Amino acid sequence: MANRPRPETARAGRAGPSRSSLSALEPIDHAPFKRPSSSVFIWVTIILVWLISLLPWRVWPSAPDLLLLVIAFWSLNEPRRVSMFTAFAFGLLMDIHDGLYLGEQALAYVVIAYGAVKLAKRLQRFHPAVQALHMLPIFVGAQAVSHLLHSWLAGEWAGWTWLWSVLLTVLLWPLADVLLHMPQRRLDESDSSSA
Amino acid sequence: MQETSTIRLFKRGPTAEFRLFVLGVLAIALLLVDARTDALAPARQAVSVALYPFQRLVMMPRDVVEHVNSWVNAAAEVRTEKEALRQQRIELAQISTHAAQLAAENEQLRRLLNVADTVNQQSVAVEVFYEPPGAYSRRLIFNKGSSHGILPGMPVIDEGGVVGQIVRVTPFTAEAALLSDDKLSIPVQVLRNGLRLIAFGGNVHGKVEVRYLTGDVDIRVGDTLVTSGIGGLFPAGLSVAQVDSIERDAVSGFGVALAEPLSHPERNRHFLVLRVDVSEQQPESE
Repeated sequence: MANRPRPETARAGRAGPSRSSLSALEPIDHAPFKRPSSSVFIWVTIILVWLISLLPWRVWPSAPDLLLLVIAFWSLNEPRRVSMFTAFAFGLLMDIHDGLYLGEQALAYVVIAYGAVKLAKRLQRFHPAVQALHMLPIFVGAQAVSHLLHSWLAGEWAGWTWLWSVLLTVLLWPLADVLLHMPQRRLDESDSSSA
Repeated sequence: MQETSTIRLFKRGPTAEFRLFVLGVLAIALLLVDARTDALAPARQAVSVALYPFQRLVMMPRDVVEHVNSWVNAAAEVRTEKEALRQQRIELAQISTHAAQLAAENEQLRRLLNVADTVNQQSVAVEVFYEPPGAYSRRLIFNKGSSHGILPGMPVIDEGGVVGQIVRVTPFTAEAALLSDDKLSIPVQVLRNGLRLIAFGGNVHGKVEVRYLTGDVDIRVGDTLVTSGIGGLFPAGLSVAQVDSIERDAVSGFGVALAEPLSHPERNRHFLVLRVDVSEQQPESE
């Protein structure tokens, strides 16, 4: 027990001469370990956003798809808690609410959730803006596939307004990061203040 | 660049690729089946019924706000409505005398022709529940469904004339395709000369089209199209649209008339569903 502080002091002594260069260094991350978000919180946010999506504001053609945003966000940040099946089920529910063919949005949701799960390991530590930038092509691709299938089956093309919707959805990613990681951040702060 | 395979220490169920494949195939299968057949209608209905309480729940604040609003504005609304009604009464008085004359004359002629009287349709008043988002189709969801006797195929009207047709029902809601929805087609007649045509939902947003007009067809800008009653779903004599423009295509030799619907589904909240007998008919859309 008494030996413990010794290496510390020794290292401090050795660090002495090169102090100027070392003191300029800052830790890359003050909170190097991310806590997992609680699954209750994840489910509450998904269901809340789903309820909000039932409201008539989505009539605006370039309205962002908040439900998709939240599901993709959790798939990327907590890939083990939110499964692709969740994405599929909520996609189907939205198909029924919107009166589209069954599976149309479910397909897009599943593809985006897959992209998020695949990128999870690479992107989790990145800034939310970078995450959003990486997710943009996946969102565009998945929605394009779903719209192409619809135009093939129904013989009509929706135009390009959905691209704005996708862009808005991705632009809201950093905001989603702020809101959905809020409980974690509060925990981190309380930890560091107690230390 | 050699491939390195990692040892999997923990089993975590099927891989993401496998899930993507299964769910993707499932989604595409659902899409194909739903687009081509009616096999999934019961499943869709069951989920719709389960969704209904949630839809009601989230719409509740909106309904409350609307209720309060209408209550607050009641006095002003009543006043303007009274003015409008007074003016309308004067206009109608003229028309009604004229109509009485015509009705008498018509009855005489009908008796002469031995034509059965047109039956007065039973109807259900419905209110818009929500407008489904989506850039494809012009649709409305109403707040009453098969529990009120609404069935797919029934026409929907407002004071301007035909609004559309019911295409899908659940016990508590009904989905109507509007006139401008490209899945809808209605047998019509030109009011001026009785020419029978079929009007389709337009490729042009919010318009109705009459396609394949040959050069000798007598149709002009300003003509009113009314339902002809052929086909049995739409009762005869409901106004549908007014022709705004006629485009003749010199190459194919056919013309297309574009017409503006006379009903205003975007302005009203209340509509009437006519409970015509659809038991032996297939809905014309889808």
